[in-house]
Amino acid sequence: MISVQALAKQFVQGRGRQRRVVAAVQEVSFDAADGCITGLLGPNGAGKTTTLRMIAGLVRPDAGQITVAGIDVARQPQAVQARLGVLSDARGLYPRLTARENITYYGRLHGLSPARADARATLLAGMLDMAALMDRRTEGFSQGERMKTALARALVHDPSHIILDEPTNGLDVLATRSLRAALRRLRDEGGKCIVFSSHIMQEVERLCDQVVVVAGGRSVAEGTVPALLARTGQQDFEACFVQLAFGATTAGGAAAPAAAAGPAA
Amino acid sequence: MMRGAWQVFTKELLDALRDRRTLAMVLLSAVALGPLLLVALSLLVAEFEARAEARDLYAVGLDAAPTLRNFIERQAWTVHTAPPDHADALVKRRFEHPVLVVPPGFEADLAAGIAPALLLVSSSANQRAEGSAGSVSALLQAFSQEQASLRLVLRGVPPAALQAVVVQRRDLADPRARAAQFTKLLPFFVLMAVLYGALHAALDTTAGERERGSLEPLLMTPLPRSALVLGKWGAVAVMGMGVAVLACFGFLPGQWLLRSEVLSAMFQFGWREAVLFLALLLPVAALLAALLMAVAIRSRSFKEAQASSTVVVLAVSLMPMVTALQTGGEQPWQLWVPALAQVTLMQRVLEGEALGAIDLLLPLVVAALGTALCLASVVRQLRMAAWK
Repeated sequence: MISVQALAKQFVQGRGRQRRVVAAVQEVSFDAADGCITGLLGPNGAGKTTTLRMIAGLVRPDAGQITVAGIDVARQPQAVQARLGVLSDARGLYPRLTARENITYYGRLHGLSPARADARATLLAGMLDMAALMDRRTEGFSQGERMKTALARALVHDPSHIILDEPTNGLDVLATRSLRAALRRLRDEGGKCIVFSSHIMQEVERLCDQVVVVAGGRSVAEGTVPALLARTGQQDFEACFVQLAFGATTAGGAAAPAAAAGPAA
Repeated sequence: MMRGAWQVFTKELLDALRDRRTLAMVLLSAVALGPLLLVALSLLVAEFEARAEARDLYAVGLDAAPTLRNFIERQAWTVHTAPPDHADALVKRRFEHPVLVVPPGFEADLAAGIAPALLLVSSSANQRAEGSAGSVSALLQAFSQEQASLRLVLRGVPPAALQAVVVQRRDLADPRARAAQFTKLLPFFVLMAVLYGALHAALDTTAGERERGSLEPLLMTPLPRSALVLGKWGAVAVMGMGVAVLACFGFLPGQWLLRSEVLSAMFQFGWREAVLFLALLLPVAALLAALLMAVAIRSRSFKEAQASSTVVVLAVSLMPMVTALQTGGEQPWQLWVPALAQVTLMQRVLEGEALGAIDLLLPLVVAALGTALCLASVVRQLRMAAWK
């Protein structure tokens, strides 16, 4: 279970006259249950990535509280990091190491024995359909191959909580499908608490048990897809999202320009 | 924590060793450095020796001065006719010998007791010609002395009457100290090799990691920042130290290649010298690794880190200039300055001087403190959630 309460974070950009304060996250609150895929849906610049980074203990929030499995991130960041598997937007791999070496290195950093790390890597290779890649150096991997390796790396210590930041960015249909299947398996077989951010409607609609709509640094709505549709009275999830994120006036035909402008872009 | 640091260390070392191209360049320069430098130096010294032994005089109009010619040939010098355009050639450094110009009336003037003027043409901007000018000048001086003595003897005056004072010279430099003039560059090159050995690994494990986007996932593991930094530093320092070991032991076989007998007699670089060099270089390799990392971690990209590390490279390469520029010998404060201390002490080793415990300990303590400070700064930089 990941619980986020009234999270806020602002960044200072530039110095002197160029100094500018950007409120990346103003008030985000949601609960992500175990055995459930929770989607953070929002336009670009809505504060999704910053929220996920704060959960991962990478950025300190200005206000609010985050607990992962009941542990406060601010007090015990390392205990939280041991329980979290994070696939952030930075998914750099070591090009001179093989996929297996990349994955087991993280297993070792999480305190696994060499044999256990290797066994986990093999298991994940089967699950993510990347057994053929394992002993190749990651230099020259395709986007999909990189994503799989980075995901296996994030999951090597068998975390109970998984965070994915826009995992399908740059993936083709097949890779997206296989990722979706993997996430479902993790939810159904492992009972994991999975949070993932996206700005793609179909993906959220197909995969998420629970959706949190984030816009302008605030969480504006939370619920299942049917519940959100019912709440807005829309048939189409895209229209439903636009109405929730940008207000009722733009929910009709003017969805595209409104989304492109984005309140926090 | 130490287990985590060990994991990072082994991974970074493996990563660095797989970077074959960079490794090959570093190894080639480090291993080839010692022998190559020695060969270059020995060629230089051999040429100096050959020139000192060669007794060649280039002259104009010497045929009209049989007495002088006879004297010169008696001293086992070979007389050559100077080329007509020697003045221009000397200025342009195409001709590397001083030229003696004998006036036409030399023999008659000498017989008449009128001191004839001899002209020795050289250029002080032409070092090689200037080097031989001294011995030619001494030769002519000896001729003058002989003539004067003969005249005095004819008049019944003992030649010793003209020599009120006898000047003798004693050279106190022992052969190794003399060789140190030639081998002065070696400590500097070894130090630079160590720096370049650590440079690429230092940038790759910090700025490179950030540029690749692999730093952030690393910071999201429960590994303490200090363990991460310690492991990375260990790998970078080992790269620098490896180059130090190769460079030092490279001099041992390098000695076989010495062309100059004088230099090979003077340049004694045995196991003792190699071990002392290493004792000086290993701490400074650790410090340079930490310093380069502290500089590079502040950069967002590998390229930016390369630009900022230039300052470190420049500082280290300018340090030895202090020893070259200063007069008044080695100052006590030099041992407090990293890089400068090592270069100074390595020169002492080459000169065959003994190193005291304090000479080895002081730079070691300074390097250890500097390393700790730099590593603390890297840890602090990683703790700041500055990357957004």
